[in-house]
Amino acid sequence: MGKNTQTNRVTMATIANSFNPREIDNTDDIPGRRAPLVTGNQTYGSVTDIVCRVAEDAQPMLWWVLFGFSSMTAVSFLTLITFLIYKGVGIWGNMNPVFWAWPIVNFVFWVGIGHAGTLISAILFLFRQNWRTSINRAAEAMTIFAVICAGIYPGIHVGRAWLAFWLLPYPSLNLWMWPQFRSPLLWDVFAVGTYASVSLVFWYMGMIPDLATYRDRSKSPLRRMVYGILCLGWTGSSRHWLRYEKAYTLLAAFAAPLVLSVHTVVSFDFAVSQVAGWHTTIFPPYFVAGAIFSGFAMVVTLLVPLRAIYKLENLITLRHLDNMNKIILATGSLVGLAYATEFFMAWYSQNQYEGFTFMNRAFGPYWWAYWTMVTCNVISPQLFWFKKLRTSPFWMVVISIFVNIGMWFERFVITVTSLSRDFLPSSWGYFRPTLFDGLMFFGSFGVFMSLFLLFCRFLPTIAMSEVKGIMSAAAHSEHAEGAHGHNH
Amino acid sequence: MNLNYEKSTIELPESWRAKAPILLSAGLILLCIGFLCAFGGSSTGEDNQQGFKYLCHSYLANFVYVFSFTLGALFFILVQFLTRAGWSTSIRRVAEILMMMIPYLALLFIPIIAMLFAGSSALYEWNGKNIHSSVIASKATFYLSKEFFTLRTVIYFTYWILTANWFFRISRAQDESGDAELSLLRQKWAGPLIMLFSLSASFAAFDWLMSIDADWYSTIFGVYLFAGSMMSFFAVMIVINMLLQNAGKIQKLVTVEHFHDMGKFLFGFVMFWSYIAFSQLVLIWYANIPEETFWYQVRLDNGWMTFSYCIIPIHFIIPFLFLMSRHIRRNRTALTIGAVWLLFAHWYDMTFLVMPNAGPAQLVPLLGHFLGGIGMLSIFASMFIWRADGVPLVAMRDPRLPEAMAYTNPIL
Amino acid sequence: MSEHKPRKTTEKKVPKAFGWMAEYQDENSLLAAARKVRDSGYTKTDAFTPFPVHGIDEALGIKPTILPFIVLCAGLTGLSTALLMQWWMNGVDYKYIISAKPFGITPASIPVAFELTVLFSAFTTFLGMIALNQLPKFSNPVFTNPRFDRATNDRFFLYVEAADKYYNRDSVKELLGGTHPDSLDEVLEDTTPSALPRPIILGTILLVIAGLIPAMIILNIRAGYSTAPRFHVFFDMDFQPKKKAQQTTTIFADGRSMRPQVKGTVGRGQLEEQDPFYLGYDPSKLTAIDTLETGKFVSLQEPKATDSSAASPASGLTSDGSAQTPAAPSATLNLPWIDKLPIEVNEANIAVGKQKFETYCSACHGYAGFGDGLVHKRADSLAQGYWLAPTSLHVDKVRSQPVGQIFHTITKGQGKMASYASSLNPKERWAIVLYVRALQKSRNADLSEVPADMVKTLDEVK
Repeated sequence: MGKNTQTNRVTMATIANSFNPREIDNTDDIPGRRAPLVTGNQTYGSVTDIVCRVAEDAQPMLWWVLFGFSSMTAVSFLTLITFLIYKGVGIWGNMNPVFWAWPIVNFVFWVGIGHAGTLISAILFLFRQNWRTSINRAAEAMTIFAVICAGIYPGIHVGRAWLAFWLLPYPSLNLWMWPQFRSPLLWDVFAVGTYASVSLVFWYMGMIPDLATYRDRSKSPLRRMVYGILCLGWTGSSRHWLRYEKAYTLLAAFAAPLVLSVHTVVSFDFAVSQVAGWHTTIFPPYFVAGAIFSGFAMVVTLLVPLRAIYKLENLITLRHLDNMNKIILATGSLVGLAYATEFFMAWYSQNQYEGFTFMNRAFGPYWWAYWTMVTCNVISPQLFWFKKLRTSPFWMVVISIFVNIGMWFERFVITVTSLSRDFLPSSWGYFRPTLFDGLMFFGSFGVFMSLFLLFCRFLPTIAMSEVKGIMSAAAHSEHAEGAHGHNH
Repeated sequence: MNLNYEKSTIELPESWRAKAPILLSAGLILLCIGFLCAFGGSSTGEDNQQGFKYLCHSYLANFVYVFSFTLGALFFILVQFLTRAGWSTSIRRVAEILMMMIPYLALLFIPIIAMLFAGSSALYEWNGKNIHSSVIASKATFYLSKEFFTLRTVIYFTYWILTANWFFRISRAQDESGDAELSLLRQKWAGPLIMLFSLSASFAAFDWLMSIDADWYSTIFGVYLFAGSMMSFFAVMIVINMLLQNAGKIQKLVTVEHFHDMGKFLFGFVMFWSYIAFSQLVLIWYANIPEETFWYQVRLDNGWMTFSYCIIPIHFIIPFLFLMSRHIRRNRTALTIGAVWLLFAHWYDMTFLVMPNAGPAQLVPLLGHFLGGIGMLSIFASMFIWRADGVPLVAMRDPRLPEAMAYTNPIL
Repeated sequence: MSEHKPRKTTEKKVPKAFGWMAEYQDENSLLAAARKVRDSGYTKTDAFTPFPVHGIDEALGIKPTILPFIVLCAGLTGLSTALLMQWWMNGVDYKYIISAKPFGITPASIPVAFELTVLFSAFTTFLGMIALNQLPKFSNPVFTNPRFDRATNDRFFLYVEAADKYYNRDSVKELLGGTHPDSLDEVLEDTTPSALPRPIILGTILLVIAGLIPAMIILNIRAGYSTAPRFHVFFDMDFQPKKKAQQTTTIFADGRSMRPQVKGTVGRGQLEEQDPFYLGYDPSKLTAIDTLETGKFVSLQEPKATDSSAASPASGLTSDGSAQTPAAPSATLNLPWIDKLPIEVNEANIAVGKQKFETYCSACHGYAGFGDGLVHKRADSLAQGYWLAPTSLHVDKVRSQPVGQIFHTITKGQGKMASYASSLNPKERWAIVLYVRALQKSRNADLSEVPADMVKTLDEVK
């Protein structure tokens, strides 16, 4: 933060950035006067226009290029899955003793990505962080698509994917038996299942009023009918709004602990075991922090191009991005703190297995993965201490991609280093991924991006009704402040 | 928004000032009675060491109990500036006063240091000559030596006191000038300072509480203590604000909305504590490694079982169900009942963490420990009165105060 | 419903009127108007806004919703469902031990209990909101006004229903007109044809039929029989390119897929086949006994052991010893038993033998070796007639056996007695043999064999 320009920036919050005339710096508040969350003198109608145009106008060339590429990747991913089911999981690099390799790494990676969406929509809602309104919809969509990608890996890793429903407790007439509820892997089924379905409900419910807007702006009868059915005949009645808001708040109150529980249960998969490097009590909160960290990085990676392509800079403003980058910085530092605590405790416990595992992580055969992780996860977000980088779309995308790489490596380091050097030295081994591991990880990005692009194309990317709601509230508080000024 | 106010409504109640010495002496007397009970009750003829052990543990538990309020306050202040919060402006000064009690409470840590240098191992086994475990012995050579332990404690306190003082000084300066830049200045430094805070609080928990049982280790322990501290901090805030309002102060500046919000945070931290406590328990229970499970075993043996199991209803089920309703959180009296209950629950938690290491559960020493806890609270109250004397109870010229007065809790 | 739909039908029949709808530019005018309408005593009113306007519930006099209570009940249902389910499924109906965790409700039940609580609550919240709002409702008279399309965009509407008991068409119009609305329209019945378009019906039917096809196929396969060979989806899993023990192959000249041992190599465990320590007999002396017998032994060692079992229960039956005849040589393996213990005779080994004997042998043979262990007593008390009592170790037949043979019996089993080779290592087996010998000695010793200084203690015991 430049010292001499700080005052200027604060008092003249609407000075445009020099490099992009559309960018308005609203990242700073004058204490007592909130900077606007929506810039460019928007009205309710103009907000509707900006958001609806994304789906109503012909898509830009770039959309078609990206969609063509990502849908092709998605199709090849599905082909690879078919081949894997035909051939067996042996085409992956999973080996003895690293039975859990890339599939679980990818699973945890994708589930983690999903967390930011629910955090934005539920936890920031409970904390009355109004800036969430412009970004929550896209983030929630990202959550659902990420959870879909995540679910694929354990789904096909079970071997007989078509019998995955055996995980559920249903009365089977053939073999009268029940799942093993004392296993964390079954907790995962319940946690991820609940998370996916509740996120979907939350996302859909949030979209109902906006789908009604889409319906009412539709020119073609088909669109009108489809959106009309999707929005369940929403009218915007105040009685409906009252119950809707109550329901939304309740859902937020459920989703907030739910999102914590999901990555907590994922961390239990590792931490209830006795494997050194996995069994440590800080895993639950540390996994949650890491998940939020990676999720926000993914939101930034997606939203910066999104707002540029669809010209949403006035709704997804620099302030939104700045805030997200601050959260990345905070959670990144938390993750760093957890690494340090783990290392300290490995020494403090004087447990030879713990001590060995952590030395092995940093200086063993997978040292490169460990130091990639530390560089990307702990060091690169520290760049966000500089406001210049926090508010530069280019640099924030670069750093957030680094963070995503780092978080993938974190899961790799945890899974592979601990397993490849476990208690029995005679079974030690060195895990090497196969081509299929790599291709299938890449392919999941195709699924993710295709779904996200379709979402932009057909569904409201910004929660219009919520943005209008905070515009109305902001107008009222301005009014109240004016009155207050008179009294002084 | 009318912010015209009587200066007298934001000052400490006149009648309180006289109570401070009474509270202090009552606290000291209770502490002494508590010590006597703890000492006498558990001295079994031939073993006087046992009584002293009980006494030390009781002192540490009660010290950390009241100290955690102030630690929570410091974190609260840092977060309020970090997030540019507006809602909390009218209750922030009380939190700032709580935070400014860290220097006073640091004095109460001196007996523990003195005990270390006197060579007693009644509290910290690693300080003794006859260490029963080789693990502790290897730590005791350097990390858990009395010199290094003291050095670390001094560093923690120095950091907390400097941070608290700096924030408080600027806050008071703003009372005079009303300069918005002062808010921005604190906002700017809150980020880095909060990083150091989490490091220091976490390690303080490891040093002060976890090293009582130096064989044992749990990486989440710092977070556990942090969760309890935040919960008890909000409970203290609710009680103090309630008492001040009953004495006719800050009645217009702290509204039902603020109580509602503090109630929500209280509720939230009850859940957060339960989450952390459950995580620690389930991981250790499930993995079933003797190096870790013994810590819980200590809390189930020697008559502690009932006590330990009761922490689940006391610290989680009852407050959770009680605070779930919006109507309770918006009712000052009901909320204060919840807050007082949770103050007890936090004391119970500290007892759970510390006392089983002192010896078997016995009624008289535990009663003494409880009296000591009340005595410590009483001393804490007297310190609060002295610290708050002459300080406005609301940061009247904070530019975000109108925002704090204007907001309402729409739904939850 | 939409501005594009023709409104020809209005000419044919007079549509029913549902009330008045006033339109406003912003939420403040709406709130003011709503208060005015409420104060005039109307209760069947509603406002339509693009976002939730705060204060409108108070301005219209809308009561709070009961949704939270419904959700609370759902949450409790979810919690108890989860706990009951886990308790019953893993603690009652299908118990099994996993890593020594107890059955029933444990800390391990909490995650699923939490998830189901949230799942039930969340879905009830959503479905409850939908149900209380009486959605979905696709045909709504308010949609007949094309201006109403902006209710989800940037306009605010106030609606007074004709169903209100104080409703009067003209006075409501006057009242709303006095609040300076942008427009004021009567809400008319939707007279557009309500029948679904034919293509939609047709498409739906086709989809349903198409959807039934896979289900029918599966049902047909599940219920019917087929003589056609199974379709192998995973061919390489069903027919793996590997050879099993007795198959032929073209790879090797002899056509066998099972390969003989390569000359000059020693397989795992083969060394032990040469050592009396592991066998109880000396294999190098096998040929010296009986070539014929040895030849049989090589291939029929196991059946031989079974043969001999025919005799041993017989001897067990008469374990009282009175009718005991020396074991028939034909019923016993004739092997070059070793008769000298390969382990040292010392207290430590006797202690090992005693401990192992009492763990593994005493259940049947009894602590003193009389064949009166708990298993025997229990089986005998059931008196089912076909229980063969375990051999007493003190009968002459056993006493006369060389140590090697006793070792062999423990290693291979005899009659009902199973092999203990997997439970006891050779050294422990020898220790048991030693202990058995000690037991036998203790029951068949003369006073003269007792050391002089111990005789006194015997007297004391008496």
